[in-house]
This record gives sequence, structure tokens and C-alpha cells, in this order.
Amino acid sequence: MLCVKNVSKTFGVVQALDDVSLEIGENEVVGLVGENGAGKSTLMRVLAGVYAPDRGSLQLDGRSIVFGSPTGANLNGIGIVFQEQSLLPNLSIAENIYLGQERQFVRLGLISRRRLNAAARRQLEKVHADFDPRTRTSELSFAARQMVELAKALALEERTDRHLVILLDEPTSVLEQRDIDILFARVRALRARASFVFVSHRLEEVLKISDRIYVMKDGRVVAHMPTADATVPQLHQLMVGRDRHAEYYRESRQHAPRAEVVMEASDLAVDGAYREIDFTLRKGEVLGIAGVIGSGREELTRTLFGFLPQTRGMLRVNGREVRLNSPSEAADIGIGYIPRERRVEGLVLPLSVAVNMTLASLQAVKIRGVISPKQERELAKHWVEKLHVRTPSVDALCLQLSGGNQQKVVLSKWMNARSRILIFDHPTRGLDVGAKEEVYELIRDLSDDGIAIVLTADTLEETIGLCHSILVMRDGRVTARFDASPGSKPSQVDLIRHMV
Amino acid sequence: MDPEVSRQSSNSGISTPALREPGRAKLRPRSLRRLRPFAPFFALVVLSLLVGALNPRFFEFNNVVRIANSAAIPLVLALGETFVIILGSVDLSVEGVLAVGAVVISLLVRNDSNANALGWTGAALAIATCAAIGCLNGLIHVQLRIPSFMATLGIWFVGVGIATLALGGSTVRVLDTSIRSLALTRLLEFPLAVWVALGALGLAWVFERFTRIGRYVYAIGGGEDLAVLSGIPVKRVKVIIFTLAGALYGLGGLLAAAQLGMGNALIGSGRLFFTITAVVVGGSALTGGEGGVLNTFIGVLIIAVLANGMVLLGISPYVQQAVQGLLIIVAVALSIDRARLKIVK
Amino acid sequence: MGEMSICRFLRPQRNPGKISVLRGACYFVSEFIKRIYSNSAVNPPNRGDLAAHSSNHMNDFTYPIPRRTFIRRAAVLAGSGALASILPYRVHAAEKVTVVNSIRSLSNPYHATWNQGGQAFANAIGADYVTLVTEGDSEKGIADIRAVLAKTGGNMVLNVDPNDSPDARPIVEACVKAGAYVVTQWNKPADLHPWDFNPYYVAHISFDGVRYGEETANALIKAIGGSGGIVALGGILSNTPAIERKAGLQKALDANPNVKLLDLQVANWKSSEAFSIVGSWLTRFGDQIKGIWAANDDMGTGALEALRAENLAGKIPITGIDGIKLAVEAVSAGEFAATVSWDPYWQGSMGLAIPYAAKTGKFDPVKEPKSHREFYGTGSLVTKENADEFYKSHIESAPKIDFSDLWGRVTGQIRE
Repeated sequence: MLCVKNVSKTFGVVQALDDVSLEIGENEVVGLVGENGAGKSTLMRVLAGVYAPDRGSLQLDGRSIVFGSPTGANLNGIGIVFQEQSLLPNLSIAENIYLGQERQFVRLGLISRRRLNAAARRQLEKVHADFDPRTRTSELSFAARQMVELAKALALEERTDRHLVILLDEPTSVLEQRDIDILFARVRALRARASFVFVSHRLEEVLKISDRIYVMKDGRVVAHMPTADATVPQLHQLMVGRDRHAEYYRESRQHAPRAEVVMEASDLAVDGAYREIDFTLRKGEVLGIAGVIGSGREELTRTLFGFLPQTRGMLRVNGREVRLNSPSEAADIGIGYIPRERRVEGLVLPLSVAVNMTLASLQAVKIRGVISPKQERELAKHWVEKLHVRTPSVDALCLQLSGGNQQKVVLSKWMNARSRILIFDHPTRGLDVGAKEEVYELIRDLSDDGIAIVLTADTLEETIGLCHSILVMRDGRVTARFDASPGSKPSQVDLIRHMV
Repeated sequence: MDPEVSRQSSNSGISTPALREPGRAKLRPRSLRRLRPFAPFFALVVLSLLVGALNPRFFEFNNVVRIANSAAIPLVLALGETFVIILGSVDLSVEGVLAVGAVVISLLVRNDSNANALGWTGAALAIATCAAIGCLNGLIHVQLRIPSFMATLGIWFVGVGIATLALGGSTVRVLDTSIRSLALTRLLEFPLAVWVALGALGLAWVFERFTRIGRYVYAIGGGEDLAVLSGIPVKRVKVIIFTLAGALYGLGGLLAAAQLGMGNALIGSGRLFFTITAVVVGGSALTGGEGGVLNTFIGVLIIAVLANGMVLLGISPYVQQAVQGLLIIVAVALSIDRARLKIVK
Repeated sequence: MGEMSICRFLRPQRNPGKISVLRGACYFVSEFIKRIYSNSAVNPPNRGDLAAHSSNHMNDFTYPIPRRTFIRRAAVLAGSGALASILPYRVHAAEKVTVVNSIRSLSNPYHATWNQGGQAFANAIGADYVTLVTEGDSEKGIADIRAVLAKTGGNMVLNVDPNDSPDARPIVEACVKAGAYVVTQWNKPADLHPWDFNPYYVAHISFDGVRYGEETANALIKAIGGSGGIVALGGILSNTPAIERKAGLQKALDANPNVKLLDLQVANWKSSEAFSIVGSWLTRFGDQIKGIWAANDDMGTGALEALRAENLAGKIPITGIDGIKLAVEAVSAGEFAATVSWDPYWQGSMGLAIPYAAKTGKFDPVKEPKSHREFYGTGSLVTKENADEFYKSHIESAPKIDFSDLWGRVTGQIRE
């Protein structure tokens, strides 16, 4: 009924979708699974009219169709419930459900609130939610808002004769079990009126609710089967099965870490995000943290750099117990952070390479209290040489550099500040293969210098290839620990098993 | 919409209570938080009681009338500003547009410098002119993508310039008795200007709550990206709102010409401060999406009561300016939700 | 009812000295074409002819000239074309004098009238007239003056109401350097004296705020019968006129113990603020208010309208200062007890006449006494008695000023 035919979509360097084809029939639930970055969300957004495919097309009942905008998709019966919500917090439930559609309630130029609320109530009934439609959405709990979004998607029924297709993008990753059961019951009940596409990393759930399953990997659909034929281990294999080139990650350069402990965590917790985290980090060690969204690994990383102080437990750095209340405190004790969004969080793009490099260590370039530009540039030149940063000069603006070189500037900043512990947050995101390899070399160099690294990587391969040890997290806890010395590295399936 | 924004939430499995409540215990109980939107109203009540306790003449009916009279024009101006602020923009052109309105009216109705005597038609023309200027504001902002701050700043000075050019710098006296009756004739003891302002308030309230555009203003202020994705004609709404604001400033100009019996280029001077303060003090957030005309009504009253009160209590003129400045800081501090703002510029 | 003359006050200023940029551009282009054409070797006119033929100021241009020099000078001319809108059509290095008025803005009646006075004087002596407007921006004011000094080569006189006291020094110094004669009014630093900059800094004129604050206060006291309570509206607290006039009020109060000052509030020179304050006062003092003293007419008229809204206009006398049309009319109508006119027409015209007289040698500033170098001018107190006549002579028509009477309105040397 609704077909995706050979759709491709690229964002800059990154190929998010590569020749993807998919079919969604009437009254069925289609499951879509894959790793982080496999392209699931992008595909959903293409279906929902948020993105237009670069190549390929969408077909509805055999006819080619172009949506142009989410409204266009809506008019053709396709609604999406986003993973991160899309309700306006300052409007009521009813207003949100009918946002942009108020005309049907207008009489003599004025909206009849009574009719609006009554209509909203009817939509809420479809999902068995009995909230007062006049409540502001900011006052609802997350699960409740999820229901409202579902009702909003179902409200499309009234606007179109077509068969409804509702896209659920990771709806359960932040729900309690109780709420998940409710959601599933609704979805099953609603099968008569709509088809669903259910995206999730929780394979058991996908198996429970869907009729057919598509598996995506690296932007492609790699498998497609009726649910009855699928098992979790099989899905794992399909999701991650990939050859790992040992030398790509410079595994020959991986040496055992030194004995000295630089960071220790004991029963570390942040209420609502993670708990009972223990680990030790030694000089020269690369510690990887693996986990899907919602596993708590992002929050753990942020705690280590002072963005999110722990609510319980103990963190020890260089033998001293600390509670990092802000990034500057972390920087002061020698921790550096290479952020995910380097363009936003790592560099001040309109400033020059030299200025960015000394940003975290201005003390070093001051003479009698005033920054010495000459010294700044000397230092910058030193790092440019050491890390092979390709830049026209140290005065070039950072926004002129390529992604990989920008990453090197961020790294120089912290090395300038003599950080002994570095936290890498998705360091190779958005980089091409060559740049990635350079980063891997750098990580080995740092490790050899005795710098300890906490790595949150984009892919499992990277984690396995680069790290000395790996923590696997799920739902806020450590579910497994792996020793990843060269020669006895765990497989991706080993990791996935504890992640989902 | 960053898919990887972390959320504080509970997870599957038998979740411990600790995980369900994100963050540490709130400093204020939830009931107090729910009262926050009413803070301006309480402030008004407290302020009035305070002034009245120190000088009971505050409560005399005549004084209430005087306060209403001094609040009429600011209310009309603030209504226009409110919609712009809820949209998430700001309109600095109040003084200029009001000046144009007052000057045009004073030149079109019976006055002491030319032979025109267009009466209420003249008033309507003046308001229409100001609406057109507001529309220009909107178009410059939307089509040329110039931030509203800059666009309206420019129009402010253009407006004062037009008013100066039209009168050659002098003042024109309004002689039309029916226009002046807005200020001089009373209905149920209150000057007509007060009723006009209340009428404007009523219409603005209906507009805000019951019309689609009123709804869209909040949607755009609450999340413009989402509004666009929902098919709301954002650009059109913005232009309409700026036009409406211009018309309201023009109405303010009409009332000012009636009240002061004259039109000149400087008649709007100093009114911007009052206008924006009233909107903010009333509880509408400068970031947009929150507040409303009733909030602004309370805000205007607070400032009018404060001004009246300071004179009644004989507070030194040296202190009064400081008090007004303090007022803004306190009002904003009480009304913004600081927990939600991580980066404050 | 004198509509014609009033209209004159309302029309936008027409100054024959101003030309549009377009006109300047057209002129330039035509000259350019002429020069290019005559650059040909076919018919070289001799230099003397050209100079005789050129009916303008382009004596920079000699023929033949290399193209590059021409273009460079063209650029200079184009640059000065930016000033074309404020400069006269013809500016000669050693011919017609330019008279220049520098004021805050044209948006208020006071300065608008000042400007008309200057225009009248320029017409009377056949000089070119330029108005510079600071819009409250000191930097702009000084820069504009420097530009005109440069363009006229110092062949000008300047009458300036500086935006702020410190501005007077750089202005005077620039004029002295260029050899232009200058008079300052109202604002200057206390240690800047005309006699230290002979002969170019001719005079400084101000008006005694204390004296006139006192005179209007006395008029008010008289109007209320010598005793009772009054309220006072002051100007922006830090302005010198506000301080001086308030001091004058105080002197009057000290001399009249039966009159009590109930309250003084600051209305920042604005009628709308005065309106609100008077409303609150009526609540606070009610019948006790017998009169309202205002430091300027704008505030006074605001107070008047507040009274009118309560049917009290005319029942409580008001005084103001500035002598604007509305105030004088109010005095005639019995709503105002008095106002004071500075006669900005006089300020705008005599402020040019005095330095012009010095420039043309009619008197030598060095030889004048200090009371002619730094003096208080005369304000006219307008009361019921003379209101009608004052209206006819000063507002309905342009006041008749004898431009040769340089010192007629000197009332005394400015206090040290």
C-alpha cells in the first residue's frame, strides 16, 4: 500500500540511506530495527515528509507521490510520533492535537472551544486516555504526552479517506513497563484502523508487537522476514555482522595500560539516569562505554566532565574524591572533553586556530596578566605540527577547516591544558574514513603518553577495536564488562546481547 | 530535535522510586509552583493594600478614576506589544508610531493650524496609517529577515522623523470637541478613554482566546519550527500581528491627542519603557509563548498604581526612578522559570 | 486668524541654501562630461579663458590635467557631494559668507523658531544659511561642525547650542583654528571663556534660570493671592535649567512665608508625565492645591489638561517657562498665570548677527567688556497683561528684530 522504492539520502559526507526499499500493507505492524546510526530515524522522517529523498521515490497505492512537507504527508494519511516529542508545551492537549486544523471549529471567525475540546476528547478515547483536553501539555508526564501524540497521529483519520500509517519512532525507550503494555494494547486494538511502523532497539518488544520485521544496517535494508521466523540472536547477527579489520583500529599499537589508577567510580549514580556504576581507569587505558540511547551512558559521560554532578556515589580522580559541579572544575583537575557536537561545543568557529587551541589554558600564554599573541601562536604552531593539522595558518578561522582537522584542534586545546584524562564523545562522527584513521592514530599516541581515555564511540566496532576494556550499559546499569585486549576482543554480538 | 537528547525518566523493569523522581527534591512544594502565574495579581493586591494603608486616600473613588485615566493609554499600547512579545519578537517602534498617529489626527481634525475638520474619519485614517506602518514593520522583519529588534528600532526613528516633518517641529492644538470628549466626557464617572481602553482589552482577549490567529501567535512563540511543520502560515501571522500592534499604537495616539489636546513629534517620548515593563511585569515571558492580555492588564495596573502611590506617599523624586528599575528586576525574577533556562544571556 | 503665518511655521523648512544630492550629482556629471570633452587636443582653450568661463568654484581644475588627477579630485568632490544636501550651491573660498546654526533638533517648536530666526538673518544680509542638527548626539554635532568649517575654509560664523556642556570646547577650538567666528548658547564648561580665545570666540549667551524661575513663581504667588499651597513640576534632575529654575522657585518661596510648597515631583520636561502626576496630587492634596509651578511649558500644558479633565482648568493657575504658542494662548485664556519666552527667534538670529558683526569689523571683541562676552539674555515674562500683544508680535508674526542692536538684550554678566 505504502512503498518506499530505492530511496537514498545523504547529509553532507554521511550517507544515511542507501537504496532502501520497504513496503507497508494495510492493517499490519511493521517492525524496523538496527543499530544507532543505521538510518531508521532518517527513513521515518522521509516517510513523514520531513525530508525529501535525494533519489528514489515513495509510492501510495501504486502511484508515485511527493509529500513536500509534513502537512502533505498528513493529508495522505501518514502521521509520525517522534521519539523526542513534538508537542508545544505552552498549549493545551486539544490545541496540540488540532494544531493547524482549527478551521473546522470556527464559527463566525471564532473558535468554539467547546467543540474543540469535545473533538479532542474523542481522539483521546481512541487511545483510552482520559485526560482533560484543556490541560497544558507541559504539565503532563512523559508517558501521557506520548499518548497525546498517538492520539494526535490518529486524529488524521478525520482528515483523510486514505488508510492511516502511523510511524512510531522509539516510543518505548523512555516508558515504564506499565505504560509500554498500555501502548501495545492500544496499537493492537488500533490495527483495524491503521498500519504501524514500529522502530525500536528493544528486540523483544519488536518481536512481540510486529507482524513483519525489516533490519537495517549502515543505511541499507539487510534483511526482511515475518516475525514468526525471527529470533533475537538472529537479529543481533544481522544488525551488526560486519568484518572488523584489525589494523583499521591500529590494534597492533594497543599496549597494556600502566598500573597507576587515575579515576575510580564507586556506586556512582544520577537519579533518573543511571546507578551503581563502578569502574577503574588507569593511565594509558582506553575505557569504552557501550549502550543504546536511554542506557545512561550519555549521562555518565556528562558526569565525568562536570555537566551533571552525581547524586550518589563516589568519584575519585588521582586519588582525591571529587564532585564535579561544572566543566571548569573538571578542566582544573586535568580532565578534557572532546564533545559530540564539536562545531557547537568544542570550538568557537569564528575564532582562529591559535585562539581555540589556547582557550582552555590561557594561563600559559599570559605575560604579566596579558595574553601574549606571540606565545599563543608559538604554542599553536607546535600543536599544528605535532598533530599534522592541515590549516593554511594558525590564524585561519576554525570554520574553514575540515571536520577531521577541527577535531584535532579540539584535541590540541586539551593537550595544551595538560589534561591527563580525556573523554571522547563520538569522536569520529561526521568524519570520512581517512580522518577517522587519523583520530585512531592519535588515540594510540595519547594512550602511549599515559593519558587515560573514556570513549563513547559511534559504533560497536570502534568500541571494540580501540578499547582496553568495555563497560556495557542498559537501562541505567552496567550489564557486562569486557576485557578487550588484542587477541581476545569480544564480538559485537557479545556486546549487543547486553545492550538491548 | 536531537534524537540523542537525554531524558530523565524511569526505565523498564521494577523501577525503584528513586529513579522515578529526577533531580533532587524541589525547594518549593508543587502547590506553590502552581501559583506562579498569579504572582503579578498578588503583587498588585499587596501593592495596593500597602499604599492604601499608608495613605487611605488611595482608595477614594476619584483616585481610582485617576489611576484608570493614567493607565488607559499605556494599556492600549501594551496590548499591541503583548502580541508581538508572545510571538517571540519585540516592537520598539511604539513611540514613533504613536507620534505619527497623534500628529496625523491633529492635522486632520479641527485644529488651530489648517482648515481640515474630518472628525472621526480623520481618526480612522490616522489609525489606518499607523496600521500600515505596523505592517511595514512586519514585512521588513519577515521578508528581509531583519530581527524585529532592529526593524522596529528603525521604524521608531522614521516615525518620529515623519511626525517632525509634518509639523515642522511645532505643536498643533486639537480643537475638535468630539475627539477631545474622549478625554473630557465621562461615562459612569470614567472618561471615555478608559472605556475605549477596556473595550480594546476585551476585543484583544477574544482575539487571543478564540481566533485562530490568536492561537497561532502562541504556537509560534512556543515553538516556531513545530508551527511551521504543522502548516501554520507563520509569515502571514507575523505580519498581521505587527499590523495589529501598529493599529493599537495608533489608537494610543488618538487617545493621547485627545488627552493632551495636542499633537507633536515628541508626544510618544518615554512611553516605550512603560509599555515593555507592563508586559513583562504582568508575566508574559520575553522569550515568547507565555502570557496574555490579561497579564498585561495587571502589569499596567501595577505600574500605574506604583506611580500614583509614590506621589501619594511623597517619595522623593530621586528615589522613584530607582524604584521603577527595581520593579522590572523583581518582576522578571519572580516570573521566569529559572530551572528551565541553562544559558542566560 | 493669522492662518497664513501659522502655516509658515508648519511647513517643512525650505532653505535655498540646501540642494539635493541629485542636483549635485547632475552638476558633477555635466562638468565631468565637459572636462572629458574638452580634454581632447582638438580645441584647447587657454587657461585664462577657462577660468573666466567657469562660473563656479572649480578653480581646482586647470586645463589640461591628467586623467588620474581629475579622477582623484572627482572623488574628493563626490565625497563632498555627501555634504551637498547641507551645503549651499555655491561655496567660495573667499566670497560669500556662510552663517551656520547648530541646534539639537527641529522636532520641537523652540528650536524650529530658532531656525527661522537664523534664516531671516541670512536672508537679510544675503548670506548662505546652513542648519546643523545634532539629534542629541554630541559626536555628530562636533563632526558636522568640523565638516562645514572645512568646506567653507573658515569663511563662516557659527551660532551653536551645544548638545552638552563639554562639547563647547572642541567646537570653539575647531572654529578658532579655522578662523571662524562663533557664539555659544546655553551650555558650556565653567572654565571656558570667550576672552581666552580672542577674537574668534565672540560670546556666550545664556539665560538666568534662577531669575526666571523666581519671576514665574512670583507671578504664580500673585495669582493665588499671596498665600496657600502650591505644587511644583521639575525638569530632569541633572539638567542645569532644572536646577537653576528650582533654585529660583525656592527664592520666591523664601520671600513669601505664607505660601507653602506641598510637593515637588519630576516630570522630566514631558507633558504626559505631568498629566499623571497632577492626577495623583489631586488625590493627595485635593483643595489644598492653589497653584502649579512648572519648570517648562510642556509640563505646564500637561498639568493643564489634567485639570481640564477634572473641570478645574482656569481655577488653579499654572506657570511654565519657554513661551510656546500653547502656553501664551493659555495665559490669554486665564488658564496659565505666566510663562517666560526666551525668544528663540532672537537667539537664532542675533546669535548669528553678533559674530557676523565681529567678522565684518563692526566691533572688536577684544575691546568689549566681559559683560558683552558672557551674558544673560532677556526673557520676556508673559502674563495676562501682555499676553495678547505678545502673541501678535511674536507668535502670529515673526518678531521684528533689529539686527544691528547687538547688546540690547544684555541683562548682565553670567555669574562666575
